[in-house]
Amino acid sequence: MANLYVKAVPPADLNRNTEWFTYPGVWTTYILILFFSWILVLSVFGCSPGIAWTIVNLAHFAVTYHFFHWKKGTPFAEDQGIYNRLTWWEQVDNGKQLTRNRKFLTVVPLVLYLIASHTTDYQNPMFLFNTVAVIVLVVAKFPHMHKVRIFGINADK
Amino acid sequence: MIAIPYLTALTTYFSYGLLFAFGQFRDFFRKIFDWCSANTLQGYAPICLGLEDFYIRRLYLRIQDCFGRPIASAPDAWFDVVERYSNDNNKTLKRTDKISRCLNLGSYNYLGFAAADEYCTPRVVDTLKKYSPSTCSTRVDGGTTALHLELEECVAKFVGKPAAIVFGMGYVTNSAILPVLMGKGNLIISDSLNHNSIVNGARGSGATIRVFQHNEPSHLEEVLREQIAEGQPRTHRPWKKIMVIVEGIYSMEGELCKLPEVIAVCKKYKAYTYLDEAHSIGAVGKTGRGVCELLGVDTADVDIMMGTFTKSFGSCGGYIAGSKDLIQHLKYTCPAHLYATSISPPAAQQIISSIRVILGEDGSNRGAQKLAQIRENSNFFRSELQKMGFEVLGDNDSPVMPIMLYNPAKIPAFSRECLKQNVAIVTVAFPATPLLLARARICISAAHSREDLIKALQVISRVGDLVGIKYFPAEPTKQQQEGGKTVKFD
Repeated sequence: MANLYVKAVPPADLNRNTEWFTYPGVWTTYILILFFSWILVLSVFGCSPGIAWTIVNLAHFAVTYHFFHWKKGTPFAEDQGIYNRLTWWEQVDNGKQLTRNRKFLTVVPLVLYLIASHTTDYQNPMFLFNTVAVIVLVVAKFPHMHKVRIFGINADK
Repeated sequence: MIAIPYLTALTTYFSYGLLFAFGQFRDFFRKIFDWCSANTLQGYAPICLGLEDFYIRRLYLRIQDCFGRPIASAPDAWFDVVERYSNDNNKTLKRTDKISRCLNLGSYNYLGFAAADEYCTPRVVDTLKKYSPSTCSTRVDGGTTALHLELEECVAKFVGKPAAIVFGMGYVTNSAILPVLMGKGNLIISDSLNHNSIVNGARGSGATIRVFQHNEPSHLEEVLREQIAEGQPRTHRPWKKIMVIVEGIYSMEGELCKLPEVIAVCKKYKAYTYLDEAHSIGAVGKTGRGVCELLGVDTADVDIMMGTFTKSFGSCGGYIAGSKDLIQHLKYTCPAHLYATSISPPAAQQIISSIRVILGEDGSNRGAQKLAQIRENSNFFRSELQKMGFEVLGDNDSPVMPIMLYNPAKIPAFSRECLKQNVAIVTVAFPATPLLLARARICISAAHSREDLIKALQVISRVGDLVGIKYFPAEPTKQQQEGGKTVKFD
C-alpha cells in the first residue's frame, strides 16, 4: 500500500478552485474524511452509531451545501472575478454536466442517507432530518439546476 | 505524467483540507468580531472580497519566509541571501544585516550572464555613458536609438525569422501582443500549463479560449477538430483565425514542448502557431537558438516566436519574431510599442553582447563552452537526483528540474533545511502549481561548477532523507571517481 503509485496528468482545467478535484486520491480522501468524522463523533459524544451517522450526514450536508452550492467565486484575486457569480458546483469540470466527479458527489449524500437511516432503524425525528438533507443536496446537484437561482436566492453577489 | 505514492496523495489532500478548515474557522470568528466592532464605513465597498485573499491570509503568510527571500549580490552561482526574522509567526518579516553565502539553485541564470561578464559588462558601461540609463520615451516618440534597431536585427537573425520587435518587459510581450493579434470571432487554443502572461493576454483579447491537455498533441488535434466542426459559439460560423499557443520549456515542469507533433497538427488544420520561448531561448539547442534547433523544427514552420531576455541573456524585456508584415503590423498597433517606455539602452547592449558571445562573434569559444556546460550540468544533476530516488520532472537537456514535495508541510521544511546548509532553493506550491503537486524547482546554470553541483547533491540528499521526499527506491550505492576523489552521494 505504501508503495502504490498513481499517475497524475494535468487536466485541461485552468480553474484552481476546481482543478484539484480531478487528481487521483480525492475520492478516497473524501470517503476517509467522512469515516474518520464518524469515528470522531462516536468518540466525542459517546452516542450510538446511528446517531453518529446522522450527525455526520447533517454536518456533511451543512458543509457541502455551503461550500459547493452557496459560496460563489474563487479564493484567488488573479481570476479577476470571472467566477464571482458561479458556485463551486457550477465551476467544476468547466460546467460540464454528468461527469464522473459530479456523479460521485451526487452518490455520496445518497449513500450517507442510506447508512444513517438504516442504522437509526428509520425512526423519527432522525429520518426526517436525513430525508430533508438528502433531498436538498441531490436536487441542488441536478443538471437542470445549473445556474438556477430559485426566487433570486443567492443571486448576483 | 507524474507518479505519486497513493498514501502521499491522500495525506496531501488531508493536510490541505485541514489547513482550509482551520482557515475558514478563523475567518468565521473574524467575521463575528468585525461585525461586533462595527468599524465598517457606510457607503464604501470592500477593497477586495474576503474570499479573494483567503489563500494569502490563511495559508501563504504561514510560510512566507520561504518565498521572496531578498538577496544582496548578483545572482551568480553563489550569492548572498539576507537573513530575516519574525516575531509574530511570519506575519511580518524583518531583515537583519547578516547574510548567508549560498549556492544559487533558484535563478534563471542559464548561461551565467547575470553576473559581470568580461565581454558584456565593459560594453554595457560604455553604452551607459554614450546613451543614458533610459530613453524615458516610447519607441514611436523619442525612444528608438541605433541600438534598438541593431538589437531587433540581431534578434531576428538569431532566432531565424525575417523580422523582430523588442519590448522593455517580458511579461508584457505576451499580455499586450495577444489582444492585438486575436480578437472577437477568433479562437485561441492554449496549453493547460501556459504561463500566466499568456492566460491574461488571451483573456484580454476577447477571443474564444479553449485549452488542451498539457503537451498532448493528440488532445490538441481533438480540440481543433471539435472547435472547427462546431464553429463560433451560438452562430456556428467559421472561425476567422485559429492560433495554438505553446511554450518551449514549461517553467513549472521543465518539460520541452512536443513541437514537431504540434506543428504537424497545426499545419493539418491550418492553424497559426505561437511559440513562447521565454525559458528555452539561449538555454537549449546546439547554438542556443531554442527548441526549434534542439528538436529539428524549421523556424519557418512556426508563425510567431516569442522569447524573453530575462533568463539566458542576463537582461530584461522580450521580443516577438515573425514575418516582416506581422512585425510592421505590431509596430502600428501594439500598445507595448506605442505607449510603453522602450528598452533601456544598456539592457539592449547587454542582449546584443550576450548573443555575440553565444554565437562566438566575440572572438572566443566561451559561448559554445557555456552551452555545452549547461547541457552537461543539467543532465548530470538530473540523473543523479533520479538515482537517489527523487521524483524529478522534465526532460533531458532542460535546465529546469522540479523535485516533487507534495505535502504542504514539506514545502517549508525542505526550503528551510536547505537554507541552513547554504543551498538556496525555490519552492513552488498551490496556486502556482496544482494542489497535489507542490515542488522545489531547481534551475541549473552554466556558471555552476562540478564541485558546486556535487555539494548541492549532497545537501539535497541529506535534506531529502530528513524530510522524506525520496519517493522512489534509490539505485544501489556506488562510488564515483571525480578527479581522483571519491564522492558518495548517499
